Amino acid sequence: MAKKRQPPVEKASVQLLVNDVEITVPEGTTLLEAAKEAGTEVPHYCYHPELSSPAQCRLCLVEVEGAPKLVPSCTTTVAEGQVVKTDSESATKMRQGVLEFYLVNHPLDCPICDQSGECDLQDFVFSEGRKHGRSKAAKRVIGRDDFGGDILFYGDRCVMCTRCVRFMEEMEQKPILTVVERGNRAVIDTFFEQGLEEAEWAGNVVDICPVGALVSKDFLYKARAWDLEHTPSICPNCSMGCNIEIHTRDNLVQRFKPRKNIEVNGSWICDYGRGGYEWLNQGGRIEKPTMKDTHEPGNGTQEPFGWEDLLRGLGARLKESAESVDVIASPVSSNEDLGAVLGLLKALGGGKILYRCPTSAEEVKLPGKEGLRRTNQLAPNVDGLKILGAVNVGDGSGAGGLEDIGASNSTVLVLGDRLEDQKDGFAENAGLLVYLGSHASQALSQADYILPITTYVEQEGTFVSSGGRVQRFSKGLEGPHAARPAWSILNELTNIISGSSDGDNVEEAFQKLSRISDAFTGLSYEDIGPEGVQLDAVAKKD
Amino acid sequence: MGYPYSHASEVSIISKHFGDPDARTLEGWKKRGGYEGLQKALQMGPEEVIELVKDSGLRGRGGAGFPTGLKWSFMPKDSKKPHYLLCNADESEPGTFKDRELLRWAPHQLIEGCAIGAYAIGAEQIYIYCRGEFFEANQVLAKAVEDAYEAGILGQDVFGSGKRIELTVHAGAGAYICGEETGLMNSLEGRRGEPRIKPPFPAAAGLFGLPTTINNVETLSAIPHIVAKGSDWYRKWGTEDSPGTKLFCVSGHVRRPGNYELPLGFPLKELINEVCGGVVDGNALKAVIPGGSSVPILSADQVEDCLLSYEGVQEAGSMLGCASVIVMDETTDVVHQVMRMSSFYAHESCGQCTPCREGTAWVTNILKKLLAGKGTEEDLTTLMELTDQMTGTTICVLSDSVAAPVQSSIKYFREDYQKLIKGGEVNG
Amino acid sequence: MKAPKFNPGWAGNIGEYELTEAEIRGEDFVGERPLEGGHPSASATYPYMLETKDPKAKLFEGAYLERFEKIVTRYPEMRAALLPTLSLAQEVRGYVSPQTMDEVAELLELSSAYVRGVATFYTMYNKSPVGKYLIQVCTNISCNLCGAEDVLRTFLEETGTELGEISGDGCFSVVEAECLAGCGFPTCVQINSKYFENVIAEDVPEILATLRNEQSTDPRKKSLKE
Repeated sequence: MAKKRQPPVEKASVQLLVNDVEITVPEGTTLLEAAKEAGTEVPHYCYHPELSSPAQCRLCLVEVEGAPKLVPSCTTTVAEGQVVKTDSESATKMRQGVLEFYLVNHPLDCPICDQSGECDLQDFVFSEGRKHGRSKAAKRVIGRDDFGGDILFYGDRCVMCTRCVRFMEEMEQKPILTVVERGNRAVIDTFFEQGLEEAEWAGNVVDICPVGALVSKDFLYKARAWDLEHTPSICPNCSMGCNIEIHTRDNLVQRFKPRKNIEVNGSWICDYGRGGYEWLNQGGRIEKPTMKDTHEPGNGTQEPFGWEDLLRGLGARLKESAESVDVIASPVSSNEDLGAVLGLLKALGGGKILYRCPTSAEEVKLPGKEGLRRTNQLAPNVDGLKILGAVNVGDGSGAGGLEDIGASNSTVLVLGDRLEDQKDGFAENAGLLVYLGSHASQALSQADYILPITTYVEQEGTFVSSGGRVQRFSKGLEGPHAARPAWSILNELTNIISGSSDGDNVEEAFQKLSRISDAFTGLSYEDIGPEGVQLDAVAKKD
Repeated sequence: MGYPYSHASEVSIISKHFGDPDARTLEGWKKRGGYEGLQKALQMGPEEVIELVKDSGLRGRGGAGFPTGLKWSFMPKDSKKPHYLLCNADESEPGTFKDRELLRWAPHQLIEGCAIGAYAIGAEQIYIYCRGEFFEANQVLAKAVEDAYEAGILGQDVFGSGKRIELTVHAGAGAYICGEETGLMNSLEGRRGEPRIKPPFPAAAGLFGLPTTINNVETLSAIPHIVAKGSDWYRKWGTEDSPGTKLFCVSGHVRRPGNYELPLGFPLKELINEVCGGVVDGNALKAVIPGGSSVPILSADQVEDCLLSYEGVQEAGSMLGCASVIVMDETTDVVHQVMRMSSFYAHESCGQCTPCREGTAWVTNILKKLLAGKGTEEDLTTLMELTDQMTGTTICVLSDSVAAPVQSSIKYFREDYQKLIKGGEVNG
Repeated sequence: MKAPKFNPGWAGNIGEYELTEAEIRGEDFVGERPLEGGHPSASATYPYMLETKDPKAKLFEGAYLERFEKIVTRYPEMRAALLPTLSLAQEVRGYVSPQTMDEVAELLELSSAYVRGVATFYTMYNKSPVGKYLIQVCTNISCNLCGAEDVLRTFLEETGTELGEISGDGCFSVVEAECLAGCGFPTCVQINSKYFENVIAEDVPEILATLRNEQSTDPRKKSLKE
């Protein structure tokens, strides 16, 4: 469990003037951060808030009244009464000059560069650079180098900000990237043929590269930056709860990018998490709600029905049996899904919720960021499930543990788990077998009801991270036409069974949780915000 | 006494025993009054030593001319952290060759100066960062250090005073930029010799992140004499703002090149014509670089009244730097020499800061183009603007160092450039 | 002003002093540095650029191991021993190969990439093999004013090599050097560990002939072969 948040140490505050805007910031703030407060983004390459600052890109120099020359705003800290100008004549002239130097050997291959559209060099030169460069000489050519893993290096585009070198040194603490040679022969490289294979967070160097020098092989030539939609979300590949942005195009996930949250993952995500998105694009979806044709004995065919009729029929059958229900949930189920399951169980005769989760023996830590790691629970909502009373069964590969339920003759509800390890005709003796799933399941092809649900990227909701933080994810893709969030289906069933009329929206679905668990008491969906909220009750438990 | 030639105008203090092998031995050095300064210093309080050096007005001989006593006084007084004294013996500024002579002819003088400095600033460890190419100087110095250890001058108990002073000689590996103080510290720590951003200044966080003072070989070599004979004695020479004597390294087109120890404020013209025997082959003087390749070039006119003190050279339009006087006669192709200097800086740029990394190479390219007769008048404008963009925008001053010769040569020897441009038009 | 024909350069031009070469070179004084390097704190672990190199020599053993161990004691951090250790490795092996960087990294508990970054920053580490004699001709301003480019050209012509190439007999590599701080003695040429000063183009054939005939008497070179 993550450390309890320390109350921020009270620092003396300093008042200063940045571009005629008066601001008050804590002592020790850099001019660059102070300017951000004042609404000005000072151009920079080498500075990164989570790495050391070598002040070598020379782009963030600003004018400070009384200083003999321009000062680097990334390392100079604020002083009382300081007057800072980021756009003074000398500062803009200097920036224009420095930008010209950047382009002396830059290939200007924007049309075939993946970074195009989200490139700091492109942006800065476009807004402040000279119209025409004056260098007429042949350009230095370094070429392309495969750094191993997912990383490709285009040396000619590099601006030598050394963020990548510092990331490997300070964050991952495996200094396998270095600057080789000096002067304008200097280039980023690994140790000869040795690449970044041993790194497990290397993908971040692509994110922090301000230009297209370090690019992802996986994303290479896949999409232009301006065609991508960005959806704030949570990484689904372990229980750390790293904040991510899901970049989509053509209703497909194109890549995961870290979304900054200093309380959880900073600006980083691991390669394992970053790479695990293909399953969200997988075909084989359940397109329509179906019911097994009961007139035929043995293996009946699945007949499609409209939602309304089908749920009314299902509700009636559930109410009729009114017995305890065995639920197999998935660790990717959201808190709202679980809340809806619990609501349904309450309306019926109670029951138990099991889930299985693939695990890994080893955690993968990022030494430079305390607490950040790929946890050994390889699913996003294990902790949410635990809080809401679900019980873990099965082995480390997320299989097994379902012998009892398989033999059950009462009602069995499977939520999201495809039961890939199970044989055909799972729980064939069950009184009623319902499968709410996004993808077709062989083991459940004989279920009495098969109901299409959306994946987590096709809906919104919340997960609870291993650090006890409840965090929201948003909808980035359209699911199959008939698919609905599991909580929506389950809540409607509950309405049918108990005659209630709870609304069909995520806010209310979330609100139900506070009735179930103390951990969520007093918390509304809106309260959670883009960076999540620490569940104090959960933190106290451990 | 100058080396290899000497002259009657000289005042020999630190160079007194150049060329005298006996003075290199511990016994020989002691016979010549060596280590008296250190013993005297040990009788004084560290503060007193600092005050004495402040009073002498000694200014750093590495190029910047910062007052040495003042620098020493910046060291934290009651910090429990270890302090370091660093001696910068990474002499590599083109035109400068004084430290090598000091290292190989008077190693004990330097050791004594280092020990006094360490005592004054409260350091127990001294590192002498000696240029890697100086195999001979390194050997001589190493032998002297060993002898000093054996004689109890260095080690756990310096001259029985109970003070501990250790000295380690560290050899560089070939990088001009390691002569920059923070680059030197990075290099000594086993890193790429890239200069660090200041602040923090070395007195707060220097070598291994601890309080550090760094002084040039020549500065530290003068210390034993100042301590032994007093600040008033030292102020007998030089000017009010630049007291004492200085080694002048004269090279290029003079009859007798070499090191000469002269009082600061000595006339540049006299140095060239009298002390060094004049320009070779009776040629006319064209230009002089008075302080190593990083300072602006002076034209023959500017040389006339130039006095060799920190303030005097500044008045004449350049800087004293490390007093490396490079003399060029009328046969000199100034543009070629400027290109050679700029290609040196392009070779030695550490590559951190963009204006320097890209600018040094670009400027060199333009100069090469001009020399090939393919230049235009526009290139001169570009050169002036580029070097402007390279001035005051980087972590260290290597980038500014390219600007100095380029801008001053375009200013004073524009016709040399224009000849190349016109020639190009005719040929082209 | 005529430069002396052959100047071993340990202490430059003897000028107007009446001193013998031995006195100037100071061999009696400096003596032969012990192979193991002498006093640990005072270092004296300066590498030579040896003529006889063994690229397969172990890092480190015998007297070299002793020197390495002394080097490490001189600094509060292992990392600081990197430059002297690389120098020592080069003394033994003649150049710093990727393999050598890797081994040095392991000795000092650094990453190989880091060592590569540092090694490539400094010009004194040969990143590829060089001839028995590495001839570094200063062509920077002071020497340049006094004919350094002629000297360099003559060295290249006489050895029949291009810049940086090893001559056919494996004897010579000629490179252009930046200022060697011998500006008062132009042209200044460094050949392995020694400075040759006041070199003019006419001196070059004789210098090369002497080097070719030089029979090595340095005990360090012998011990390396053993």
